[in-house]
Amino acid sequence: MKKRILVVDDEEGLRLLYKEELEDEGWEVELAASGEESLEKLESDSIDLVLLDIKMPGMDGVEVLRRVKERWKDLPVILCTAYPHYKHDFGTWASDAYVIKSSDLTELKQTIRDILGKKE
Amino acid sequence: MEYDIIEKVVELAVAEHELEGKLVKAAELIAYSFGFDRCEFYLWDEGKQVFTLKAHFGGDSNHKIYAQDEGIPGAVKAQKGVFEAQSLDELEEKGVTDRDMEGFRSVYALPLHDRHNFYGILSLKSRKRLALSIKRRHIIRIVALELSWAIRYDELIRNHQKIHSDLAEIQKKFANAEKLLALGDMAATLAHEIRNPLISIGGFAGRLKKQLGPDTKGALYLDRINIEVSRLQKIMDGITGFLKDSALELRSNDINEVIEECLKIFNPDFRSYGIRVIKDFHKGPLHIMADREQLKIAFDNLIANAVQSMEKNGGSLIIATALSGDLVTISIADNGGGIDPRYLGYIFNPFFTTKEHGTGLGLPITNSIVNRHKGVIEVENNAGVGVTFTVKLPRAEAKLPVVLLTDKIAESGPGKFR
Ligand SMILES: Nc1ncnc2c1ncn2[C@@H]1O[C@H](COP(=O)(O)OP(=O)(O)OP(=O)(O)O)[C@@H](O)[C@H]1O
Ligand SMILES: [Mg+2]
Repeated sequence: MKKRILVVDDEEGLRLLYKEELEDEGWEVELAASGEESLEKLESDSIDLVLLDIKMPGMDGVEVLRRVKERWKDLPVILCTAYPHYKHDFGTWASDAYVIKSSDLTELKQTIRDILGKKE
Repeated sequence: MEYDIIEKVVELAVAEHELEGKLVKAAELIAYSFGFDRCEFYLWDEGKQVFTLKAHFGGDSNHKIYAQDEGIPGAVKAQKGVFEAQSLDELEEKGVTDRDMEGFRSVYALPLHDRHNFYGILSLKSRKRLALSIKRRHIIRIVALELSWAIRYDELIRNHQKIHSDLAEIQKKFANAEKLLALGDMAATLAHEIRNPLISIGGFAGRLKKQLGPDTKGALYLDRINIEVSRLQKIMDGITGFLKDSALELRSNDINEVIEECLKIFNPDFRSYGIRVIKDFHKGPLHIMADREQLKIAFDNLIANAVQSMEKNGGSLIIATALSGDLVTISIADNGGGIDPRYLGYIFNPFFTTKEHGTGLGLPITNSIVNRHKGVIEVENNAGVGVTFTVKLPRAEAKLPVVLLTDKIAESGPGKFR
């Protein structure tokens, strides 16, 4: 069965870009435009991995990460951000990987492959 | 009564007039009270090491400036006390020549000083022979002392005013720094807002290129888009380097080692541009508490600028490290022609560049990194020849806090500034 990835980002352009690129790799992609929406999606759909933007209006990525790890301990989460500074934030240690946003998605795809592969 | 003059001079000394006005009035008073034909105040200029005529009464003195060992003022200074001569012959006997004694016969001169300072001299001249009673000598000494206080008071007031204006200057600079900080915040927000759309643009350009296939004209255009996007991304990364909350990982680092590492990256450039590297390192390690990666960025930028200045004609890069007191200093000197003095005040401003492909963020980033390490950067520009950037950082063992000047922001002017 195809693995299903939930992309959480408040930028419409980026959501679309991730969707197309990740679908090209053979994954199914669900989208959420906010932290709140992502939690609803996680309740209703079965998701194998979450790609999470940190900086979002309303509930931010770090908060979403905390709630996700509380409820679905084994669900892998990749944090994405524009800056490398969050590395030191104690709130982010719980994520499975940390990727700096770039228009070149090679690194991101490799990270997803590694994590999903490990779970097999 | 003769004692009246003491009271009058006290009144004068504490009045709100300018010093010169006080001295002119005092000169008149003294000359009248004691029957002198001329009374002069020569004040000592510590900076220039000369006496200048500040005030006088009774005819014009034609000698306005005396060297420190010249004439009567010089004699008083050397003697640190009263100098007197009843005749020109006596003056000559005492080995003093003074052009301003023409037409006079006797002179009585005494220092204006207090326990701390020598302020100048008071000289009293007469056309006649003059016998001064002991009492009069006492009174003149007291008057001279009063006037010394008036001079000291004036000096203190002027110092006070200078401190005030210096303070105002510093406040102005701080206001500028605050503006820059606000600008930095704005730029950081802007950078974030721009970054995401940029990633979209670049990402979709990539996808479009895949669709069009290589070797098409469209693919060429898309390559261009990608180049521009990465350029913008580089600028945005630079700006986010300013984010003030980015944490520093402070560890003890040997600055010599850090510099060596930085230099290694430039080896190919040194070779291809014909740049000679001269290292003058402090013997033994120089430890500072620093974020190694950040420091490397800072020195990379300085070395890159030096290298770029010598790209065309080659030259020498002199890198020196040293310890001076609690500060570790690192200087990077090039002979790539230096900075046009007109631009010197702007080089630390974000986006200021004279290079075709520069972002103008190299120095502001370097500056911000050095500042966050409690250090300063100094620039010594030798226009037409080269420039030396000196970074000063507190050494690891330094007793904290080390206080450093950090307001070198955009102060324009030729030559050296900090
Ligand atoms: N060593 C130097 N010799 C001559 N000019 C210099 C030197 N260092 C800096 N400058 C001047 O200061 C300007 C600003 O330098 P800065 O490093 O901030 O930006 P840049 O070098 O132009 O761009 P970037 O660092 O992004 O490549 C330069 O464009 C140059 O005019
Ligand atoms: Mg530069």
